[in-house]
Amino acid sequence: MSHLTLEQFDRDGALREAGSRLPRKRFFALAAGGAAAVFGGLAAPARGATKGDVAILNYALVLEYLQAAFYTETERVAAVRGQAARAARVVGAVERAHVAAFSNLLGRKAVKRPAFDFKGTTEDQQAFLKTAVAFEDLAVAAYKGQAHLIESDAVLAAAVSIHSVEARHAAWMRHLFGIRPATSAFDEAKPKAEILRIVQSTGFVVAKRPRTRAQGGPRFTG
Amino acid sequence: MRELSVRLLDNEAALRAARAEPSLTRTRLLQRAVVGGGAVVTGGVLLAGLPHVALAGRSAEQDVRILNLVLLLEELEAAFYEAAETRGKLRGELAEFARVVGEHERAHVAFVRKALGARAEPRPRFDFGDTTSTADRFAGTAAMLEDTGIAAYNGQAVNLTKPVLKAAATIVSVEARHAAWIRDIVGQPAAPDATDKPATERQVRAAVARTGFVKAAG
Repeated sequence: MSHLTLEQFDRDGALREAGSRLPRKRFFALAAGGAAAVFGGLAAPARGATKGDVAILNYALVLEYLQAAFYTETERVAAVRGQAARAARVVGAVERAHVAAFSNLLGRKAVKRPAFDFKGTTEDQQAFLKTAVAFEDLAVAAYKGQAHLIESDAVLAAAVSIHSVEARHAAWMRHLFGIRPATSAFDEAKPKAEILRIVQSTGFVVAKRPRTRAQGGPRFTG
Repeated sequence: MRELSVRLLDNEAALRAARAEPSLTRTRLLQRAVVGGGAVVTGGVLLAGLPHVALAGRSAEQDVRILNLVLLLEELEAAFYEAAETRGKLRGELAEFARVVGEHERAHVAFVRKALGARAEPRPRFDFGDTTSTADRFAGTAAMLEDTGIAAYNGQAVNLTKPVLKAAATIVSVEARHAAWIRDIVGQPAAPDATDKPATERQVRAAVARTGFVKAAG
């Protein structure tokens, strides 16, 4: 099986949490700056966070990695035009800020960024919008499914302040795609297992980052 | 829904506990939140800059107070879209927006009202003046109301009991969808920030008062 599952990443996170054998590593040079922008500074590693909250934060981090990578690649490929290109740029910057914030908050407990292959969805206007809608709706359902499980008030406050931004993104992308931004009076939550199954089914998460720069193909970036 | 009502209305222990401290004013609750409480202190360490004010403790009684705050906002929104439809000045997508979102807000009102049961505050009288008379005024007012709703729900998340939080979470993202939708229709940034800032009850009530839309309690 060539595709790693997100569950595997999650287990990796749990292992790190328990053993912390791996050396601390910063994945983003601008992590501190981005975290400050989101959480207003002083985002110290989540030393005090419970095991449950760390797992939730890592789950959120994986979803933010996925989204950030998607928009970043879209921007680099530069095949998407007009309002959709502007949205990709704006939303991408926000998702990268979310990644930086969660990474910084988790410190050495943060899961590693997976490698992605978006299978051409970043290279076509309609495929981009369709995928963006799916990602954003998924993120809304994912955060919603975790809110009541979060133990720390600080983590909860951060999560809900991001949850509604994901919903804004979902509505925005839907509007650009030409479908109704709000289809129901109530947005339903989805449990973690279901979200991870859906993400896994996309095949976007891959075992290895495709070799790109040498081959010149626009692929995943930071 | 049914579960939510039961929690709110039949949780006798929580209600008794709340009644046992009748002298706890909001000021004292806030002071408590500032000076003590493990969760609040931890929050300060983790996310120093993110404003969130946790009240003394989650309780059914506190849920009632918060649900009445969001009920006011939902009533306000529902009445606004109704007024806009009645006025009939909207065309095209704005008219569709008012109709669809109006339906959602009425569903939210019904949901929150049912959860509160007999403890729901009466619906105030509203007057929206000329805000429904042109497309621009309508859109600006709608965006303001929706943004306020998001800030209110986000600000209260840490104060709600878990079952009510779970229910509120299904509503707030719909408000966020409305906000982004109306903003994108009129060419405003749909999602201007990386996080939606929360507002306290006091800030929300002040924002509502500033609109001048609420004329009198039912």
